[in-house]
Amino acid sequence: MKHFLASLTVVLRKELIDGLRDRRSILSALVPLAILPLMILFSFGALSDEIEQARRITVPVAGAERAQALVDWLDQQWGVEIETGISEPRLAVREGDHDLVLVVPEDFGANFEEARSAELEIVVDSSERGARLAAGRLRPLIRAYSQQVSAQRLIARGVSPELMRPLRVETVELASSQEQAAAAFMFIPMLLLMIAFVGGQQIAIDSTAGERERLSLEPLLLNPVPRLSIVGGKWLASFSFAGASLVMTAGMLMIVLDRSPMRRVGIDLDVGLPELGTMLAAALPLAMLGSALLLSISTLARSYKEAQTYTTFLVMTPMLPMVLSVGSPIEPAPWKLAVPLLSQHILVTDVLEGKTPEPLSLLIASVATVAMAVLFLALTAHQFRREKIVFGRTT
Amino acid sequence: MIEVHDLRKRFGHVVAVDGISFRAKDGEVTALLGPNGAGKTTTLRAIYGLIKPDSGHVSIDGIDVVANPMAAQRRIGALPEARGAYPRLTAREHVQYFARLQGLSERDSEQRCEDLMERLGMGEIADRRTEGFSHGERTKVALARALVHGPQNVLLDEPTSGLDVMSARAIRGLVRHLSGEGKCVLFSSHLMHEVSAVCDSIVIVAKGRVVARGTPDDLRAATRCESLEDAFVSLTADGGATE
Repeated sequence: MKHFLASLTVVLRKELIDGLRDRRSILSALVPLAILPLMILFSFGALSDEIEQARRITVPVAGAERAQALVDWLDQQWGVEIETGISEPRLAVREGDHDLVLVVPEDFGANFEEARSAELEIVVDSSERGARLAAGRLRPLIRAYSQQVSAQRLIARGVSPELMRPLRVETVELASSQEQAAAAFMFIPMLLLMIAFVGGQQIAIDSTAGERERLSLEPLLLNPVPRLSIVGGKWLASFSFAGASLVMTAGMLMIVLDRSPMRRVGIDLDVGLPELGTMLAAALPLAMLGSALLLSISTLARSYKEAQTYTTFLVMTPMLPMVLSVGSPIEPAPWKLAVPLLSQHILVTDVLEGKTPEPLSLLIASVATVAMAVLFLALTAHQFRREKIVFGRTT
Repeated sequence: MIEVHDLRKRFGHVVAVDGISFRAKDGEVTALLGPNGAGKTTTLRAIYGLIKPDSGHVSIDGIDVVANPMAAQRRIGALPEARGAYPRLTAREHVQYFARLQGLSERDSEQRCEDLMERLGMGEIADRRTEGFSHGERTKVALARALVHGPQNVLLDEPTSGLDVMSARAIRGLVRHLSGEGKCVLFSSHLMHEVSAVCDSIVIVAKGRVVARGTPDDLRAATRCESLEDAFVSLTADGGATE
């Protein structure tokens, strides 16, 4: 055992030095660090833009002088800007000069004065998304004004306005704002799982397929060292890179989320140190499995290039749970916790949504994942004993 | 001492080694001589334990290689056909890596590494990364890492192949020096003149069999040829008729 660990350490140290001098492995560990803030800023930007747009509208009014009270009232509403002096409302909308135009017909004033139902027109091209949103914001405003006026008229005639509202509907949103936010940032668990899963790709390929292609595998195996310590050292080196990349990216996530002005637009994605710790605890076993899987696949590949091709498929697997959860969220079930990737997806998503996973869930997921990693390591060590693998397929 | 008894190995339908037996003694240089494809590399791989023979026995200082490969590997220093290096590590780091894998302590490995690199004239390249090394420089790195643990048995697979005259000569010098220290040196070659210059004993193989063995003089006498070159050609041409 002492010999096993000693030689494993020697291999690990060599592979780490080698990996740290390899520009490609450094780059692949650092790239997610740069991508994550960009992705967050981008999707946050898109999200807040939309919210902003939906709240702030400009209402061009044709014939404003005919309904001065209404126009003044609209002008006082938050986020509403009035533009007057529109002469050709239909043309203006068709030409795209305005998203919509509120038209006050000539007979409006007369109808309104005589307390008849006075008509207003919203001229809009609903094929435009922006116009649709703006019209959606304007209609309830006018309805509110209308209700206000009707209430005044009823009171003037001695009738309670309540009479006009036999029913009242209130919508109670049950999803917490953190849950809503997590849905918007669904790519975060995917990105974290991806880094964990394939963050050690470069070292794994370089130290197996690369080692054979460079013709350094045969000399290495001439040393009196158990195959499992060679494989173990290479695996730990690959895992170290994946783990370091994961920890750095998760730290970055925390900082970026903390700095971004999300709360202003009603998003609450709270990721502090405890949440960070839980996400790492969930994702690190996946890094162990990913590195072991990469090693065993690269060992079977005939060349460096071939290994890269095979392992590219692995890069895509962490997207599966996300793709599956697009239609309907993944319902937690005990057996799902025993499925690597799926379990980590559930756990990390839970954390982002502000729930704390059960320690038992975390344990089941980790044990199942690590057990699979050990299996692949043993398989790889076995491959290292095969003549066909050691000498290539030409022997 | 290396003992090979009735070694057989086939790959699919190809018989690579077909009953090779010989003994390489301590303090002697033994050559495994034969044309390309005679089974030399396969024989060496079986000796240093990377290929499992179909039948036959290989032992190093009395240790059975198949039964106890790691104990045998500790007594072997081998320069295999594959001499790849890690481009991002220096020559010294290569030698120290192998020293540590052989179980030497940090301190011992530094000392041994220093001695060996001096002996092989590697002073200038010691702390350079091996990326861009010449073939000769790379062979030196491979030799140094093979010998760093001071093995009793030294196996060299075509050590001079691809080297210039000076480097080949330096290697022959090293081979003689090692046998002078009482080591058992076994090397393979397809070059007759090289073998005759340094060997105490020659084993000629062709098509996976031993076709002749003995001292250079023995072989000349047996084939009634004036030069060893002619003896080699006459022995290997008919592919193992004489044993």
